[in-house]
Amino acid sequence: MDFEFTREQLMFKEEVIRFAKKEIAPRCAEHDLKGEFDLESFRKMGEFGILGLHFPEEYGGQGADVVTTVMAGEALGEAGVDGGLTLAYGAHTFLCADTLFRHGTEVQKRKYVPKLASGEWIGCMGLTEPGAGSDVASMTTEAVKQGDKYILNGSKIFITNGPIADVAVVYAKTDPTAKHAGISAFVVEKGTPGYTTGEPLKKMGMKTSVTSELFFNDCEIPAENLLGQEGMGFLMAMETVEWDRSALLAPFIGSGAFLLKKCTDYAKKRIQFDRPIGKFQAVKHRLAEIRIMTEAARGLVYRIAWCKDQGRPLNHLEAAVAKLFVGDWSLSPSNDAMLIFGGYGYCHEYDVERVFRDSRLAPIGGGTSDIQKMIISRLM
Amino acid sequence: MNYDFTEAELLFAGEVEKAAAQMPLAPASGTFFSNAEIKAALGLLAKTPYLAVGLDKSAGMGAVIHMASMESLASLAPSMALCVEMSTRVFGRLLAAHGSDVAKEKVLKPLLAGNLVGAVALSEGAMNVENDPFSTQGLEQGDGFSVTGAKNWVVNAPAADVIAVAGRVGDKVAFFLVPAGAPGLLVEAPATTMGYEAAPLSGLSLENCAVPRDMILGPFDAKTILAEARELENLVLLGLALGAMKSAFGQAKAHAKSHKSGGKPIIAFQEVGFKLSEMLTMLQASELLAFRAAWLAEKGDKATADVLLCAKVFVAECAEKVTGEALRILSGAGWTGTGPAQGAFRNAKWSQIAGTSTEIARVKIGDSALGYK
Repeated sequence: MDFEFTREQLMFKEEVIRFAKKEIAPRCAEHDLKGEFDLESFRKMGEFGILGLHFPEEYGGQGADVVTTVMAGEALGEAGVDGGLTLAYGAHTFLCADTLFRHGTEVQKRKYVPKLASGEWIGCMGLTEPGAGSDVASMTTEAVKQGDKYILNGSKIFITNGPIADVAVVYAKTDPTAKHAGISAFVVEKGTPGYTTGEPLKKMGMKTSVTSELFFNDCEIPAENLLGQEGMGFLMAMETVEWDRSALLAPFIGSGAFLLKKCTDYAKKRIQFDRPIGKFQAVKHRLAEIRIMTEAARGLVYRIAWCKDQGRPLNHLEAAVAKLFVGDWSLSPSNDAMLIFGGYGYCHEYDVERVFRDSRLAPIGGGTSDIQKMIISRLM
Repeated sequence: MNYDFTEAELLFAGEVEKAAAQMPLAPASGTFFSNAEIKAALGLLAKTPYLAVGLDKSAGMGAVIHMASMESLASLAPSMALCVEMSTRVFGRLLAAHGSDVAKEKVLKPLLAGNLVGAVALSEGAMNVENDPFSTQGLEQGDGFSVTGAKNWVVNAPAADVIAVAGRVGDKVAFFLVPAGAPGLLVEAPATTMGYEAAPLSGLSLENCAVPRDMILGPFDAKTILAEARELENLVLLGLALGAMKSAFGQAKAHAKSHKSGGKPIIAFQEVGFKLSEMLTMLQASELLAFRAAWLAEKGDKATADVLLCAKVFVAECAEKVTGEALRILSGAGWTGTGPAQGAFRNAKWSQIAGTSTEIARVKIGDSALGYK
């Protein structure tokens, strides 16, 4: 067992940090306060190669391994990129583009993946429904085959990138009598008659990612828009969820390093009782907590990335453990950071306030912490 | 990067587990393990490369599989694991790194063969975050030193063949290798302790105790050698804490699967199943962090000091949480039974207070982040 990153991986991480600090991070606060998606930054991420990092070059990617891909996510967090933009990137690249890449026909892959890898198009995934969150099998969105078409009816909720997506991977029941085995996946393009999106939801955090409902009212899509085979949707969703529980967690690890830097800078400058607050043990303890939690989370997330690189998909236990840990324990660093900053930390103009709000999604999105506990206890 | 152990490493780990399974949980008579009982355990391990890991490159096994094996040893025979590791990995590694040829021949050789028990006497009143100068000191006398002072909480002291006593030589620090029974050495009676009850631990004092020059490690720059000794001890404490978690978690999980309530195993209740999920998450996070700390230390990476302290705090505190939760799941079966969880709960505290205490570790991590080193 060894934990060595290659020289190339480390250099790439530094490159991403430099790029993100210069091109993206300075724009985050403004977009967060407005609650707007930062399309310019998103496109720059595409130009830099982040959006399609792990896809082969022939599909517009960089051919990177999963560990490097996770490192890029960590680097974005470390550079201070807001959670909303990293969430938009995660939903776009892993939940949408990766599913198309893994299960699409050659025609589908050629049509969608390069555009998604470059950021020319934006992708989203429609899985969750008002009545079907973690209980995916109870989804009611249906896809009925009629000749060479499928007719979709139903709705999806909490869809990251929903209002801005050019293409969506949508899960629907092709056999309503079957549970998991009745779920199939489809590609639905923006502008398809019968496909509409709701107004962006107003959220506590992740404000620069736009989230909405998707509606399908007699939405006709060509039969060739089926991804893979009928009934394979649940398995695809499970593969996708593993990204939720690895690559999408990486920015949270990075934000630990970001918070630590912000807090140490502040603690050295902020004078109270005639000395920098960093001289007080209570403040040192909070700084230590941020570092400790960041270090503890890192191994769990990279373990899944490494397993994926070894061709071992569906590491359910390891993925659930990582998600549970990062989800529940990532809250404390952002809380510690806010307490170090005191009243300033409560104000929008300080980054720690944004990170605090953004971190609240970690134990919710991609399967709540309670769902992870359910998975782990069943696998025991 | 590689998260798997090799086949050879797994085979080695299996051998260590077999040896650990043969070790006594408590002394055959009396309250504490005797010198002979510890040597018997060392003898079992000497049949594997275990004792040589970190001391002799011929061991062929690295720090990470050692950490994993130490976890198994500590889960199966916790008190003996403490005795073995303080003798081998703290005393032995200091000796292997800094001992004279004579010391290596006289002490290290039998140690590696499982025929010698060592101890390290470090703690005294002045051992704090600032590492104030020791009161124990060695004064040059003839072809050696005369050592005078007192030490607290020395694991293995009552059973050790040789004790490495840390003391001041001018403004530097040396370890004096003092054999059991040396004139001027007074080892106190073993203390009764909250955990690791069978591991003999005591204070000791030295009064003009003569130590030949070739039985001295150092003298060294105080800060450097104390950091090295603490690093070795902290690594051991990680392995012990992992072992406590592993054994308590294992007992709680087995109980939750076999004990029924309302006609179903209690693991089927979310109150229990979810608790076990949190425990497993803490255990796995702890393992990976401890493994990485051991790996960094073996490489001599500059991140070692900070990551090891992070691991020390995290793993030691998770150990208390996991063992505590195990007892809640086990309920009366944990309170009254003979399973490992109740002992693990008591043992877990040691990893927090020994070595660099978790509170001091936090201060050091904070100082490092602030650049206040």
